[in-house]
Amino acid sequence: MHFITKNIAVLVVFSTLLFSSCQKDEYVVPDPVSDLTNDCIKRTIGPNIVSLPIEFAYAMAIPKSKGKLVSAQVEASIAGATGTYLEHRSFYTNTSGVDVPVTVGTPSSNEGKATKVSFSVDTTAATLRYFYVIPEEARGQSVTFTFTATSSNGQTVSYKMGPYTIAKMGIKKNIAVSNGNVAYISIENMVAYNAAEAAANASKVDLVYLYRATPTTFTHALVSPGAESAYLPGVTLPSGVNRSSKVRKVFNLQDRNLANLQFGIYVDDKDLQEVDLTDAPNYALGLRAEAGTWVETADKKYKAYIFLNSINANGSAVISMLRYAL
Amino acid sequence: MTKIYKTLIAILLAAAIAVSCSKDVPVDEDGLLITERQECFVSNFELLGSDFVTVRAAVPVIDTTAQTISVTVLFGTDLKNVYPQFTLATDCKLDPKVTGRTDLSDLANPKKYTVVSGNRKIRKEYSLNIKFQ
Repeated sequence: MHFITKNIAVLVVFSTLLFSSCQKDEYVVPDPVSDLTNDCIKRTIGPNIVSLPIEFAYAMAIPKSKGKLVSAQVEASIAGATGTYLEHRSFYTNTSGVDVPVTVGTPSSNEGKATKVSFSVDTTAATLRYFYVIPEEARGQSVTFTFTATSSNGQTVSYKMGPYTIAKMGIKKNIAVSNGNVAYISIENMVAYNAAEAAANASKVDLVYLYRATPTTFTHALVSPGAESAYLPGVTLPSGVNRSSKVRKVFNLQDRNLANLQFGIYVDDKDLQEVDLTDAPNYALGLRAEAGTWVETADKKYKAYIFLNSINANGSAVISMLRYAL
Repeated sequence: MTKIYKTLIAILLAAAIAVSCSKDVPVDEDGLLITERQECFVSNFELLGSDFVTVRAAVPVIDTTAQTISVTVLFGTDLKNVYPQFTLATDCKLDPKVTGRTDLSDLANPKKYTVVSGNRKIRKEYSLNIKFQ
């Protein structure tokens, strides 16, 4: 009996300790903003490629009693290319799901590295989008951004974003190729030539686009000019076009920047640096839409990823490529 | 008296546990279970290219008596970078192991793969014959 009562006492003591130590703190509503404050997020993801934009959303707010917003400014460490702007409208989504703009300021002006918007209506809170078009000077460099907001009571706040590394890769989208016509692809110039232009730029032509209905497995193909004649059926190459590039077929790699489909996969500098094509063939046959190829040029100057956006049964296709200088 | 009974029961329990946990599990050098099955054959064969899409032009012809697998590959297949996939009988394993990209470009000297049965006693060597469409 004595033994049992002693155990119960110990049990009771321990359980009360347990329950009392698990008390949650009461929820306290956070203090509202009492001064001009700001916040910023980067909206684009994936590698930062020259000529593509980096998008930010910059939010600023001030209590109504203190004043209103006067201006917003963004300064980039490397001046943005043409097309860089700070949105002067605020957006809201209406009942039909459409984003409707409301003009809150004057259109932005770019002065050197800074982009500025002055508010033209009485606003105490706004979120403005900033689109920075990556310039050629930023290739391979780091870029930082300083977002600043000023209010009518003289306050200024700023928010620093970055540093962001800009990729060394180059991008070219939607190059149209067609069998027997504009079929000579140059990786160095990221363009497709017809026979006459190919002869003029013979040392830069890396691949030939072909379409053959027989054999049934040939269909759309990217073949090096220097490949065996069996893989270039009925093709007369312009004079001097004879380079042999390494080509490896890939499937299911729909890079977001090239394909703009629902897949969130990106090819970055590192992928192009590390892909090993030493024992790859110099042709790729039977390519379907959304197929891709890793390519290394004959002079080992460039590695590229070529993506087939679409194909047509009449013997044409649209390709896009990412190119990396080795 | 009760104390003696309690210790006796404890000893018996411990002995029972010790005996029941020492079952012999036959496992080979790869950590795979050795069973009693004697079946030893290849039931299917697949060949994938560098983009992991099949490069076979037709269904492979597997001759279990002659121990050959004949595959026809599509025109323009790069046989230096292919991924062969063997489907074997239950509990069998393959020797040499297929670890990834394989070079099957030497058509004059077909590659040989040995299938080892579940009981690890029967070994059959299959010859992989490839020809182009």
